[in-house]
Amino acid sequence: MKPRERFIAAIKRQETDRVPRFNRYVGAVKQKMAPIFGVDPNEFEIKQGNDGVLIQIGINGEYSHRLVGEGETYTSEWGVKYQGIHGFNQPVEHPLKTAELGGYKFPDPNKPERMDAIRAAMKQYHQDYAVMVDLSCTLFEAGFHLRGMENFVMDAYENEQFVMDVIDGLSNYYEKIGNRAIQEGIDVIRIGDDVGVQTGLIMPPDKWRQLVKPYLKRMIASFKQTNPDIIVKYHSCGDFSTIIPDVIEMGVELIGSMQPCGALADPFKIKEEFGDKVAFLGGLDVQQLLPNGSPQDVREGVKKVLKAYASGGGYVWMPAHYVNVDVPLENIWAMLEAVKEYGNFPINID
Amino acid sequence: MELLSRLADSVEQGQSDNAKDFTQQCLDQGMEPNNVLLEGLMAGLNVIGGRFKRNECYIPEVLLAAKAMHQGLEILRPLLSDADAQSLGKVVLGTVEGDVHDIGKNILGMMLEGSGFEVIDVGVNTGADKFIETLQQEKAPILALSALLSTTMPALKKTIEALATAGMRDTVKVMVGGAPVTQEYADKIGADGYAVDAATAVDVAKSFL
Repeated sequence: MKPRERFIAAIKRQETDRVPRFNRYVGAVKQKMAPIFGVDPNEFEIKQGNDGVLIQIGINGEYSHRLVGEGETYTSEWGVKYQGIHGFNQPVEHPLKTAELGGYKFPDPNKPERMDAIRAAMKQYHQDYAVMVDLSCTLFEAGFHLRGMENFVMDAYENEQFVMDVIDGLSNYYEKIGNRAIQEGIDVIRIGDDVGVQTGLIMPPDKWRQLVKPYLKRMIASFKQTNPDIIVKYHSCGDFSTIIPDVIEMGVELIGSMQPCGALADPFKIKEEFGDKVAFLGGLDVQQLLPNGSPQDVREGVKKVLKAYASGGGYVWMPAHYVNVDVPLENIWAMLEAVKEYGNFPINID
Repeated sequence: MELLSRLADSVEQGQSDNAKDFTQQCLDQGMEPNNVLLEGLMAGLNVIGGRFKRNECYIPEVLLAAKAMHQGLEILRPLLSDADAQSLGKVVLGTVEGDVHDIGKNILGMMLEGSGFEVIDVGVNTGADKFIETLQQEKAPILALSALLSTTMPALKKTIEALATAGMRDTVKVMVGGAPVTQEYADKIGADGYAVDAATAVDVAKSFL
């Protein structure tokens, strides 16, 4: 069975030979791990056993793929100024200083080179592997980059029309680049917006339904029009459980990253509630367990996630976020080994 | 009295314009500035702080309430006497090195101020040296450190160690917080206090007094 078939079958909530894997590592970890596996860092994720590849375009693709030296800054096409801080590019200056769009110009979605990375990945991987294109951060969270998080969340109360205008501009842009990506023949399109915090949504669900959902719905409908078989994945960090029914209703088939906090802390309950309507990706705690637990703790954590989410299919393995530089190598190893040992169908975990 | 409770309500509801107007109206009626601060502005912020702690409201609502309080405070500040302006104590506040997240830190800063502390916010991505220098300059007895990333949590420990090296560990109380930080971790690195959210952090700061 090809990795791509395994990946798609899981999203269609079917059991195959084993749970497909989609581990993601920050660049520095890839650099550290690749020599151990004797592979190129750029191919590390596939070589260590992933069943799909992820190509990021849009705001995240632009800044997280660009190497910026420590302390150095650059200003993106969106007018956002980023600084390299401890290996991450962090937005430090935002183009929308007031709650007005004024003459702000969104980047041109039709630039030919925006598809270069996707075409290369399709050529190199698609025959065997699933190709997912990531449009994160897409709408509400992308507004944080343009306006600053604190300002934008307050604008959602004080200047609703402005927030909708920003999101409208973003969704027009992402709808176009998303459709272009879909036309390249990709398998999964990923929309990402971190609207969850540790204890729940960052704003009342009804506010999200008013300000964000209509644009998300329009975008997903457009993607499905371009290709009715396209799989739409929705990502949010934190506890976004209150809007999972909304997300499913719009045609999303895969959700992540199931960060085990708030109502998502009980994966059995979440699987029980939504497992017949949507597939899951993620779930292993990266805030405490993966960096600070013992290898044995990690192993137990993997078992719990697999037992809850993978039974009956409908699950793609990944920790709840990137494996970051603070994760000891022995914990990465324990995680990979446990997934290999327990991630086979039928799932049989005590 | 009714005007003060309307002022408190406007802060709680995050209505900046109303908070400004009602503050002015209170003063026009001859109320004591300190009374307007305590019974109006701070009372409103305390209500929203309590709701936040009970998970009954959302982050932007707390930010808006704090913003409204500041609108009123700007009018009051020049009128507060030295005795009125006596703070509960100084808190040096910042996000640790390598971390530029500031929303949680800012909420805490506003809540501490609303509870009567004097807050010296040294910003984000702050090294231990800068914290120590500010603590010395301000003679502040409390240090509040924030880290949002699991990868920057070790900087909490590093800062506490630097404080010890500088011979200040016994004179400064340190509290830590941020999404990945737990009580267990706080204990492990020898912090004096931990809080799961900003409202609880105010209680922790008060317990240091």
